Amino acid sequence: MRRTLPEPASARVPNLAPMVDVIMVILVFFMLGASLEVFKEGVFQTELDPRSGPGEGVAIEIIPSVKIALRLSPDGGASAIHVMGRPLAENSAAGLRSFLTARRRAGADPKSPIVVTADARVHWRYVVRAIDAAVQAGFKNVQFAVSLAPEGGGE
Amino acid sequence: MKRFQPPKPISMTLNLAPLVDVMMCLIVFFLLASRLVSAQHSPLHLAAANAATQMERSELGPRVVINVRPGADGTSADYLIHRWDGRSIREERLKATELRAYLADRAGRAKKNDQPLRCVIRADRETEYAHVEMVLRACGLAKIANVAFSVNASDAEGDAP
Repeated sequence: MRRTLPEPASARVPNLAPMVDVIMVILVFFMLGASLEVFKEGVFQTELDPRSGPGEGVAIEIIPSVKIALRLSPDGGASAIHVMGRPLAENSAAGLRSFLTARRRAGADPKSPIVVTADARVHWRYVVRAIDAAVQAGFKNVQFAVSLAPEGGGE
Repeated sequence: MKRFQPPKPISMTLNLAPLVDVMMCLIVFFLLASRLVSAQHSPLHLAAANAATQMERSELGPRVVINVRPGADGTSADYLIHRWDGRSIREERLKATELRAYLADRAGRAKKNDQPLRCVIRADRETEYAHVEMVLRACGLAKIANVAFSVNASDAEGDAP
């Protein structure tokens, strides 16, 4: 009577090694993709005036240490920076940062609000640069002067 | 006389099935997690800033995200939100007049749970300020005092005004 040897185990079990390779590649892809997405964004936090809540049309009265206004330049491109109602000598984010840093060294309270306003058509990136300059100069309380009237744009 | 006995087969292959199971679970987790993370975020060109605080989204607490991007005509804006309809997350476009009602609804629900709501404004850098101000005004009227602006913290731009 002839006896045959049992077939080797490798012939009975499917070879999962290629599948593991593919799954590892997919796993690494998703891990890297997810982490890159999470760490990219930053935030600026602000608080609206508490009196803005109770009702419509309530006038906001903020006594700022500095009031920054971004005016639309005549050519419609970049914005013109005004501080306390006057045009800034060096019309750039660096100029604004220098001005605010000097203001702070002169004794301005870093907790006092910096109020930012902008013309309606000024692009958002210029407003963010103004906030960025204020935060870099050490002012943490950046607020917006927002009219709560139902209609109306920026200043 | 002893009978011939064939040797017992010895398995020489690793059992990879549990490894595959675990990795499949991890892949499903990352698939779902990364989708949820980006679900509230429309692809926008955020303005660059150096001094922004980098926070995990969980640190922001209960929040409502409003994406603002310039409209097709160049003067209007699209206000985009994401809603969970029980099966999937859908992007919806709100009109400026609907912002206040939406935010008030969210703020009301958060208040019932005794959780202060924060509004995260993600505005495209080319958006006109008037449209962002519209969201700020709606936040004020909806009694949402905490507002955060998302910016691009990893791509600082030049120093132009």
